[in-house]
Amino acid sequence: MHNFCQDFETVTPELWMANEEAWKEKLLKLPNWNKIPLVNSNASHNLSDGKLVRFRGMVQDMHNTEFYFEHFEVFNTVTNETKIKTGKYTDTAHIQENERINYTENLKSGQRQTMVIISLPGYNEWAQKLEDEQNHLKHLEDQPNTSRRLEPTKLKRTYDETEESSDVMEVENEGSSKERRTKEDLNEPSNVVSREHLLNFPLPDVASKSCIVKIYDENDNLKLNDMIEVIGFLSVDPALSGEFQDKNSLEPVSETEVEIITHNPPPSLVPRLHAVFVKKLEHCNPLVKEVDQVKILNEANIAREHLLKALTELLLGDQLAAEYLICHLISSVYLRQDTITLGQFCLNISNLPTQKYPNYAKQLYDIIQQFVTKSYYLPLTVDNMNTMALLPKKDYECNRLTSGILQLSKDTHLVLDETQMQQGRLDATGVNNITALGSLIKTQKVEYDFKYYKMEFDSDISVLILSEGKSLLPSDYHVSLRPEKSSLEIFEAIIEAATYYLKEDIMTTIRTYITNLKLVKYSISEDLQFVEDDFIEMRNDSEEPVTADDLHRLLVLARLVSLSRGHDALTEECWRITKDMEKNRLSRLKNKPPTL
Amino acid sequence: MAMRDYAADKESFKSFFIDFCQTDDEGHKNFKYADQLTRVAHREQVDFIVELDDLHEANEELAEAVIKNTRRYTNMVSDVVYEMLPEYKQREVVAKDALDVYIEHRIMLEARNHRIPGEMRDPRNRYPPELIRRFEVYFTDMSTSKSVPIRDVKAEHIGKLVTVRGIVTRCTDVKPLLVVATYSCSACGAETYQPVRSLQFTPPPACTADECRINKTAGQLHLQTRGSRFQKFQELKIQEHSDQVPVGHIPRQLSVYCRGETTRRAQPGDHVAITGIFLPLLNSGFRQMIQGLLSDTYLEAHSVSCINQADEGELSEALTEEELAELAEDDLYSRMAKSLAPEIYGHEDVKKALLLLLVGGVDKRPNGMKIRGNINICLMGDPGVAKSQLLNYIDRLAPRSQYTTGRGSSGVGLTAAVLKDPFTGEMMLEGGALVLADQGVCCIDEFDKMAENDRTAIHEVMEQQTISIAKAGIMTCLNARVSILAAANPAYGRYNPKRTIEQNIQLPAALLSRFDLLWLIQDKPNREKDLELAKHIAYVHQHCSQPVTETKALSMRLVRRYIALTRRYQPAVPTALSEYLVSSYVDLRREARNARDVTFTSARNLLAILRLSTALARLRLSDVVEKEDVSEAIRLVEMSKQSLQHVDENVQRGISATDRIFAVVRELAGSNKTVKVADVIERCVDKGFKPDQVDACIEEYENLNVWQVNQVRTKITFM
Repeated sequence: MHNFCQDFETVTPELWMANEEAWKEKLLKLPNWNKIPLVNSNASHNLSDGKLVRFRGMVQDMHNTEFYFEHFEVFNTVTNETKIKTGKYTDTAHIQENERINYTENLKSGQRQTMVIISLPGYNEWAQKLEDEQNHLKHLEDQPNTSRRLEPTKLKRTYDETEESSDVMEVENEGSSKERRTKEDLNEPSNVVSREHLLNFPLPDVASKSCIVKIYDENDNLKLNDMIEVIGFLSVDPALSGEFQDKNSLEPVSETEVEIITHNPPPSLVPRLHAVFVKKLEHCNPLVKEVDQVKILNEANIAREHLLKALTELLLGDQLAAEYLICHLISSVYLRQDTITLGQFCLNISNLPTQKYPNYAKQLYDIIQQFVTKSYYLPLTVDNMNTMALLPKKDYECNRLTSGILQLSKDTHLVLDETQMQQGRLDATGVNNITALGSLIKTQKVEYDFKYYKMEFDSDISVLILSEGKSLLPSDYHVSLRPEKSSLEIFEAIIEAATYYLKEDIMTTIRTYITNLKLVKYSISEDLQFVEDDFIEMRNDSEEPVTADDLHRLLVLARLVSLSRGHDALTEECWRITKDMEKNRLSRLKNKPPTL
Repeated sequence: MAMRDYAADKESFKSFFIDFCQTDDEGHKNFKYADQLTRVAHREQVDFIVELDDLHEANEELAEAVIKNTRRYTNMVSDVVYEMLPEYKQREVVAKDALDVYIEHRIMLEARNHRIPGEMRDPRNRYPPELIRRFEVYFTDMSTSKSVPIRDVKAEHIGKLVTVRGIVTRCTDVKPLLVVATYSCSACGAETYQPVRSLQFTPPPACTADECRINKTAGQLHLQTRGSRFQKFQELKIQEHSDQVPVGHIPRQLSVYCRGETTRRAQPGDHVAITGIFLPLLNSGFRQMIQGLLSDTYLEAHSVSCINQADEGELSEALTEEELAELAEDDLYSRMAKSLAPEIYGHEDVKKALLLLLVGGVDKRPNGMKIRGNINICLMGDPGVAKSQLLNYIDRLAPRSQYTTGRGSSGVGLTAAVLKDPFTGEMMLEGGALVLADQGVCCIDEFDKMAENDRTAIHEVMEQQTISIAKAGIMTCLNARVSILAAANPAYGRYNPKRTIEQNIQLPAALLSRFDLLWLIQDKPNREKDLELAKHIAYVHQHCSQPVTETKALSMRLVRRYIALTRRYQPAVPTALSEYLVSSYVDLRREARNARDVTFTSARNLLAILRLSTALARLRLSDVVEKEDVSEAIRLVEMSKQSLQHVDENVQRGISATDRIFAVVRELAGSNKTVKVADVIERCVDKGFKPDQVDACIEEYENLNVWQVNQVRTKITFM
């Protein structure tokens, strides 16, 4: 087995090409891929050009297909020899000074797809830490940099400081937008654009990495925002940077300069990866290795108890709200057909004790962040709404998709803090942003702006709205918090106790639980007499009209209630619990809560 | 593959240009290409267009060959045309520009030089054909060939003629591109010509004319701009239409190079169909150094045309055999109706009506009078009965539609606005939703909350199908041939059956009567239907898919195309049927008079029935309206009326018993403040009310504090 890993450390594109099938088979046989360096967890200056590496991330943008030379002939002017070379899995031709490429004969073109992959947006610290532990390869650092890695002399100056300082590249948080910022200084010889512009990460103030991945296999059928793991050959030749192009050459008018720079960022910042294998990821929790349905369900209740206990305390003794929050945490979209989307679970917890604890929402999020793999906290302030770019937008000048906050991969938890909102005026952007959030909640679709038309992309983002009164955004389930007096007094102490209670092993259980339940298969038995009867009864009894949507909502909740308790099918028992939960919730909404 | 015999092909082209003719309707023979040649010869036309349809007719094999290797044949045709031109020259051509004069001079010079036998010019210094030819050869694709999605233009299309559709996202300025560079030598004065075929060129280092070569003077070459030939050049970027992009992908783009006559045809935002040759482009400079292993590609445009979004694409495609078979299965009408918004359960008659709205009736213009064929429908109902979803679905399905709410946010609103152009200061008209939806559907949600001025405008639209504007010195009449699909919420939250429609919706009767059908969608508990609904929803959750109904829903695309097909028919009502129509209308009127009607039965209803029946006939792809169509139309009208009436069976239509008893009491009281209960009961029983109804009334109004009843309940006192 050790041999295998050794092989993968030394394989070159040429060797791989010689026996592609065998290599691929060998790769799939590996028990784990930890030995192949993961770019996310290892500093890129420790990785060398032309070596096999891994990258894990989300598809952020897709460029046009590239036509490359699969085989081409090289003519040596000194020895008059010709030989056939290949352009697959590489960016540069690696030709000697006295060699010429023969563009007229023996040329075979191939196609490859270029995609921009960014590290998973909203990936939480604990998960990143675990992943680093699993994947960090110490020996890479010890190696002297004598391999074929090309010393980026020119580049060093520009990007060195940040690169050396930490393994994960920190994006400077200066509230800068990702829009192109070209220095207008005419004396500046090269066109410099900001790092944010090149990295194009959806979320501001979060560390990120990105890669340009060239995909050779068309059958992969990757979609935008898919989570993928790529294995491929690294290509970090500094010459690939578009910033250092020769200004004097008669460039064709075809592409603008900004476009070239944007599409050819310095490889030290954005490495190129020539994919030999792409795997779509179902989840990104480093704790979850394999899904064993029976085991998960058996252990579900223990984890649930822990989680319920912690959340009840955090929600100031409100067990109902905690139950709903658990359901929210394990929800995901499971059916999408025509215009129906089932499974979304947008929860609105209102009546937060903001008078007493103005930062309650943030504190709650800090704990939730510890449970889920990917999350993002967005304070809904008027200012934020008016200035932030929530929706991704196509930038035709740079010819790329400028990312927005709502470009998130599936199972990301978006926490909207409405307690931060003050009175104010929303401008056009603000109104658009609010509409975008509303349609995300209602239909789980995000409209990307392509200037000439808009395109809807399916998303699977669980939205949690924390607010004082009922949120101005729509929500599927609105729970009014009923804090207990006693808990309200000692909230600070509760937070402390919770951090004490949530020890590493309990956290592991909870984290695994939340990810696992999204992967479990769930079924509803054929006989749903009790559901049907209840529905008819509800319609007859209730003063408010009970619509089809209400039944959908009940069934979605019932599914999550059953799953959270470790049942993979709907039982009458769980249905009863579900109904009671909804009844309690609705009666709370009717009777005004006592003012805090 | 055997090499084609290009010499033979050249001959076939020649004879094709000479012989090809089309006979027009009046029997005149039209020598299309010969005419073109004449015009080109006299410099009246620059582009020489070869339609592959014509070539296909004359020489099938050659047309195929052209598609496969277009670049080569373009040059060949160029040669052929050049050879043929002198034959078509009938008179002297006046020189149009400096280059014409220049060329003329050179040709004369050449002719003079040739008089001296033995003196052979260096072949390199001979005039390149590009310099002398003042025409451009373009091919147009065959009308039968389908456009290729930009995504699918791949390596196998290189060198071939392809047609793509897309939206222009970027276009550069039109710039002159050097085609032939002419240099003159500083030493010997000889001219050197250099044809430029790519986007860059390197000027030759030294003069290569005989004189210089022999004398080894190596004279310097100077570029002669006046003697060089330039061509208009423009680069476009086109991007896929949103409907060509697979779900979850980013639209792809394609570069298009336009030269000469194909430039300035499109602007950013235009929808275009472009025919051109897909070619690789070798990079130079930075790009070659870095990406020596990459080649860019572009489409060399042969024809660029803007297309109307409505008539483009799938609608014009003929139905395939399979689809026809699918449609031919029985009961297409209800199957199509069910395919509308299949996720919304039930409401079959409403969906049928919406289907007819999409198909539309036939416009009639007897003696200059205009009777609209478009069907207007208003959906009313309690909140949360999927009205908006239905509207949304229709909006997506209809090829041309506008979705707006009554409280439409833009200042333009529904009709049109006069705006001042910020640059020129001119007044311009900007169409509102109704104008933009011309010949389509305008879906208006929250119809009841519409602004007053839009509401008045809509009167005109709904009957005359035009919008008259008299604003800021602009007086005009815009077409707004739209079908209006409106959704309205009841004024008081829920539909109150005790009130009339006008009161419920708060819309004037004049507007309501313009709707051909008014549907009230109510959500009332009903054991059987609820059970069905519950089963339906449960099924969705159980199987994670929509239940398989006995009739499979047709795809949106198919429905759309079928509707486009139906709209080509113009069915008429045969005289035999008119009697039946008239009698059924008379019946309707009588019924309306007898039963207290909440709606209005007027002559407009007759027209509505006519429209619906013509739409039904269209749906059958028939040119004649049949009796069944009329009866189905009448049934729909009836059903729509019923939906408004069957609201409450126990309460009398219109005004409830309680209200009427109250009226009796008022009458009885007259100017007095008090009435005896005994009197009230007596009077009411006379009028056919039951004593307990009277009691109920007294109690109800007591609770409302309209009157007081004394303790022994014998006397009523008005407050």
